[in-house]
Amino acid sequence: MTRWLTEAVPRGRVAAFRTLVYLFVAADLVVFTPWIRTRADVPGELYQPLLIGRLLPLPTPTPTVVAAIFWTLLPLALLAATGRAPRLLGWSVFALYFEWMIIAMSYGKVDHDRIGLLVALAALPTAGRARHGDPTRTEAGGWALRVTQIAVICTYFLAAWAKLRFGGLDWATGSVLARAIIRRGTEFADLIAQVPYLLIVAQFGILAFELLSPVVFLLPERWRLAMVGFFYSFHLATIATITISFAPHLVAMASFLPLERIRPLVWARSLITRRRDGAAPTGPAPDGDVPASAPHDDVPAPAPHDDIPTAAPPLTGPAPAVGPATP
Amino acid sequence: METLTTLGRAVRLGATALGLALLLVGTIWGVDDDFPFGPFRMYSTSEPPNAPAPDTRVEGLDRTGAVVALGQEATGIRRAEIEGRQSRYAADPALLRQVADAYAERHPGAPGLVEVRIVIRWYGIHQGRPTGRWIDETTVRWQASR
Repeated sequence: MTRWLTEAVPRGRVAAFRTLVYLFVAADLVVFTPWIRTRADVPGELYQPLLIGRLLPLPTPTPTVVAAIFWTLLPLALLAATGRAPRLLGWSVFALYFEWMIIAMSYGKVDHDRIGLLVALAALPTAGRARHGDPTRTEAGGWALRVTQIAVICTYFLAAWAKLRFGGLDWATGSVLARAIIRRGTEFADLIAQVPYLLIVAQFGILAFELLSPVVFLLPERWRLAMVGFFYSFHLATIATITISFAPHLVAMASFLPLERIRPLVWARSLITRRRDGAAPTGPAPDGDVPASAPHDDVPAPAPHDDIPTAAPPLTGPAPAVGPATP
Repeated sequence: METLTTLGRAVRLGATALGLALLLVGTIWGVDDDFPFGPFRMYSTSEPPNAPAPDTRVEGLDRTGAVVALGQEATGIRRAEIEGRQSRYAADPALLRQVADAYAERHPGAPGLVEVRIVIRWYGIHQGRPTGRWIDETTVRWQASR
């Protein structure tokens, strides 16, 4: 059990996940939940701190408090995304983002899409240093990814549990999806809603997949990735029908993926080098910086003890065109 | 390979067990107040297949008599936050003055609000499908004393 919990992963995967998570924190502040900043405009009497906010001596959000957290967290998250000072920056980002969430959820509505991200933020500082592309395997990093995965799957499994607790078995045959579509459905959803019994069937499907989600840990690598792909497609359907993105959860779920194979900076660099060396187009890429879109070139990095079987399908696709994702 | 010490392994095992236990307790007995360990109760309530569905909105009347939509964009208060505290507003409609204040804070030049109300549009549902019909119901109303 402990072995499984701390199953080693390549440091490159930890580095990639770390960059992704901290970039998301920055994006979350600015793009995904910009309404949290508007807390500064909402009268302080509407602030009803959550249990954790009452236990900890946290200040009532004033324009100064909200602005101070925002302008500290944003640069720290971007710095943390570089992988430097993983403990100092990691713990600071965790503390500030957690406080940011307590502020966000203390006005009468709690969101349920963040436990995976919060666990990732709490666990990543313990993973130690990790360079991009480093194939050395690490147990500390493996634990950080594993507990994030567990939190992600808990979000599904325990959500099914909550449906049975609050809704009972009638949940599956009720009108919960019809109500969701009425409240925030897209035109696509309105079309779907007209198909007789489809929403009821979908309710059974949701309950079943949530209850079965822990199976993902028992599957062999290839099927595990397929199941994670199914989870992502479920959220794609949710976005397309009732515009609920669950973005933090989607980021945390990337802890299941062999992220070390995605090297936007390396690809961009090799693309630039190729362009510059355009006069000699037939030669091999210099320094082995081979883009993943050329699967038959002998790619240097995936070391012999990489835990991904070579039979696994390439996850990345022809990505080099997108350019660098890291600052 | 970078391995963990026995202590490092034990601490991690303990932290994992504690986190899982808190999540489990939160799911079985907890409420939203226990964030981040509360139950994952999004869309967890069960609604009868023919019960009408509420679509809540907040709107106001300004001095000129115009109806102003008071959604998240206008006030910074999310709809679900209004819904979550509906009973508080119903018990004390004067609390809706805070919504007017939040609107004024974000729209300094706009005509002031003289009325704020919570309106629920009830959509008909039949056998789990929307019927396309609705009725509006004003549940809470606050009027500025002139």
